[in-house]
Amino acid sequence: MKDDASKLNIILETASAEYGSALEMLSACKLSEKAPYSCGYFNHAKDEYNHADIFMSILSKYAMNVSSSKARNYRFTARSLIGKYVSAKGYLYEIMKQKDFIAYVYTNELLAKKSFEGILKLVKSDSQQSSLILQIMEDELRHHGLAKKHFLKHYPRMQPLQLMAYRIRETINNRTRKFYFQNLRILDKLLAPLYIFMAYIAGTISILFNLREFDHTNKNLMELSSKSIV
Amino acid sequence: MYIGISGYNHESAVALVDEHGTLVDYYREEFLSRVKGDKSFPKRSLKRIIQLHNIEINQIKSIAFYERPLSSFLTSIRTAALNMPRSLPLISHQCRNFDKSSISCYLDLSRLFPGLEKKLLYLDHHLSHTLTALAYSDIQSDICSIVVDGFGDRSTTSIAKVNNLYDIKELWCCDYPSSLGLFYSSITDFLGFEVNEGEYKVMGLSSFGNSNSLNAKNVFNLIKWNNQFKTITMDMSYFDYHISPTQSYSNKLVELLGPPRNPFVPLVREDNDFQYYADIAKGAQDAIVNILCQLFNYAHTLTGSRRFLFSGGVAMNSASLDEISSLSCVDKIIIPPSPGDAGASIGSAYFAYLKNNHRQNTKLSRPTFFPSNYDSTSQQHLAKQILTDNFITLTTEFVEIISISAKLISKGEVIGISINNAETGPRALGNRSLVCDGTNKDAVNTLNTLIKNRSPFRPTAPSMKYHTANKYYVLRNELIECYKTMSATCKCRMDTESINFPTTHIDHTARLQIVEDGQILFSLLDKLEDYNIQILANSSFNLSGDPTSFDLFDALMVSMRKPLKYIITNVGLLQSIL
Repeated sequence: MKDDASKLNIILETASAEYGSALEMLSACKLSEKAPYSCGYFNHAKDEYNHADIFMSILSKYAMNVSSSKARNYRFTARSLIGKYVSAKGYLYEIMKQKDFIAYVYTNELLAKKSFEGILKLVKSDSQQSSLILQIMEDELRHHGLAKKHFLKHYPRMQPLQLMAYRIRETINNRTRKFYFQNLRILDKLLAPLYIFMAYIAGTISILFNLREFDHTNKNLMELSSKSIV
Repeated sequence: MYIGISGYNHESAVALVDEHGTLVDYYREEFLSRVKGDKSFPKRSLKRIIQLHNIEINQIKSIAFYERPLSSFLTSIRTAALNMPRSLPLISHQCRNFDKSSISCYLDLSRLFPGLEKKLLYLDHHLSHTLTALAYSDIQSDICSIVVDGFGDRSTTSIAKVNNLYDIKELWCCDYPSSLGLFYSSITDFLGFEVNEGEYKVMGLSSFGNSNSLNAKNVFNLIKWNNQFKTITMDMSYFDYHISPTQSYSNKLVELLGPPRNPFVPLVREDNDFQYYADIAKGAQDAIVNILCQLFNYAHTLTGSRRFLFSGGVAMNSASLDEISSLSCVDKIIIPPSPGDAGASIGSAYFAYLKNNHRQNTKLSRPTFFPSNYDSTSQQHLAKQILTDNFITLTTEFVEIISISAKLISKGEVIGISINNAETGPRALGNRSLVCDGTNKDAVNTLNTLIKNRSPFRPTAPSMKYHTANKYYVLRNELIECYKTMSATCKCRMDTESINFPTTHIDHTARLQIVEDGQILFSLLDKLEDYNIQILANSSFNLSGDPTSFDLFDALMVSMRKPLKYIITNVGLLQSIL
C-alpha cells in the first residue's frame, strides 16, 4: 500500500500530465491545416481536459484528509506544467512535424493507458473512481486507435516497422526521462552542501553591495539610463 | 513601432505602440499558451504581434522591458543574505535559477528575433506601472502616481509626481521586504489559495469577517504605517517570503493564528471554520485599506496633488477603493484596466515611444479597453467541422444576435460572448464574458457554480448603464473612471432592491461595471429593456483555473466542457446541440 505522499504525488502528476496533453491537443487543433484534423484534436483536447478534471477531483478527495501542511504541497498550478509536462520551447505541434506528432500520440496514449493500470490499483477500494479511470483508459485506447488509423491511412509504406520503432523510441524516452528526474533528485541531495556553500559565498558578497547607490528617490525616472540593468 | 514586454515574475505580456503613440495591439501570453498566469518569456505574443502587423525588425525602433533585472535580483539576494543561514535555501534557489530570471530577457530576445536585443531598453518597474496608468488617464501632467505591488526592482511601494510625460519624479519608496502586496499574498497562501491568483478570493471572503475578532486584529497588527518615519513596517518574523523559496509565512504566524487552511477542503459558509478564515481575511483587508488611506494622505502631502494614478497588483483590490476615495484629499483616482504586471508592458511600450519622440505637447492617446486583436475569419474555416458536429448557427446578423440573445437571457439562459478584439484582462468587460440576467438568482447561480465552479462566497459582478448604476448604487465621482473597468466596488442604495440582487455581496457592495455606448453589452442592455432587465451578471469567459477564452476554439471548448448552451461569436450566435 502506497503512503499518502506517494499516492497524492502520483495523482497530481497524472492530473498535470493530462492537463498538459489537453494543452498540446488544443494547440494542435489551432495549428492544424485541415478542418477534420482540427476537429479530431479538439475532441481529443476535450477528453484530456475531462481526464484532468477527474484526477483533480480524486486528488481533492484524498488531499482533504491529510494535514493542511502536507496538502499544500499538492496544489495544482498550471504554471508549473511549463518545462515539466509541456516543453518550454513550445508545444509539440509547434516544434514537431505532423507525422512525428501523430506517432508521438500513438505511442504515448498506449503508454498512458498502461500507467493508469497502476493508478487503478491505488483507487481500487473506491468503485466510482475505478469506473471513471476505466473510462479514461478506454478513451486513451480510442485515441491510440485514431492515431494508428491516421498513420496507416497516410503513411502506409512505413508500416508496421516504423510504428514499432516509434513505440520503442518513446518507451525509452519516457524511461530515460523518469530515470533522469529520479537521479536529478538524488544528485540534488548529494550536491546540496555544495550549493549551500556557494549560496553562502554569494550571500556574503551581496552584503558588500551598497544598493543605496541605485536609489532613484528624487530623480526624474524618465531621465535615468535606459541601458542600465540596475 | 515600439514594443513593451513584461514577464518572468508574474503574467507576461507584450504591447505594441505605433508611430502616433497609439496602442495597436496587446497580448497576455496566457491568451495564446492557455496556461493560466503564464510568466515565461512571451514568445508567442511577440511572434503574433510581429507576424500579424507584418513588422520587419528594422521597423521596430525600441523594445522596452518593464524592470531593471539585475536590480530585482540583487535586492532579493541581498535581503536574504542579511538573514543567513536561514535564507541559504532561497539564495541557492535564486542563484541556480539565475538563467530563468528576467536577466535572460536579452538572450531570449536574441534567440527569437536576432538583432532585436540591440534595441532593448530597461526602465524602472514602477515607472512602467505609472506610464500604463498615465496612458488611460485624461490628465497627463500635475498628477500623483501611487504604485503598490509585491516587489519591483528594489521597492515595493512608491509615490511619484508626474509633472509632465518627461518629468516623472519619484519622491518616496518603501524598500523590500516590507510589502503590502506580499503581505496580502502571504495571507492568501495561509488561507489555502494560490498566490497571485487567490487574492480575489481573500477579498471576497473578507466581507464575511468581523473586524473586532481577535484573529482580524492579530492580522491587522502585522503591518503598520509608521507615521514618524513615513514608511510601511512589518514584523518580518511572521513571514518567510524573503528567506524561503517555498514558504511565504513563518511558523510564528501559525502559532499566532492557528493552522493554515487545507486548500482541498471546500470553504463553505455553513462550516465551523468559515468564520475563522473569514476573520483572518478581514484583518488583511482592513490592514490594506488602512495603509492605503495613510499612503494616499502622505502622497497628497508630498505632491500637493488631489488627483491620483493608482497601479501595481494591489490596485486590483477593488474593495478598498470606496474608502480611499472618501478621503478629503482625493478628487480623482485613475486605475488602468490591467494594473498588474501584465498591464505594465503597455507602460513599457509607451516608454519606448516617449524615448524616441521627445516633443513638447506629446500626449499619449488613450488605449481602447479591447486592444488584443482577434479576427475569427482565420479560424472559421478550420473550426467548420467542430461547428457542424456540435453547434447550430441561430443567426449571423448582429441585430438578430442581440435580439435573440436578449430573449434567451430574459428566459434565464447564460450566454457566452467571444467577439471581436479581447480586453486586456483580468476583468471581462463584455467581449470575453459570460452573462446572464443579473437579477435572476437561478441564472446567476448557474453561471457562478455550474459553469464557472467559483467559490460560493464570491459574487459575480453586475454590468449596467450609467443611469441604472446611479439608481441602485452610491457612485463616487472620484471613481467614475474606475467603474468602467470594474476596478472599484460601491455600496448599494439601501432603499432600493439592489440589496437583494444576486450580484450584491454580503456587505451590500457590488463590483459594478458601467457599460459605455459602442460596447456589445450596451447593445444587449438596450434590447433587454424590452424585457425590463437593466442589469447583467458578467463574469470572464473561462472555467475556473483556465485563462480567459481568447479565440473561437477556446470559446467552443468552454461550451463543450460545461453546460453552456449559447455563445455569441463573430461566426454567429451558436447553440450547442449536445
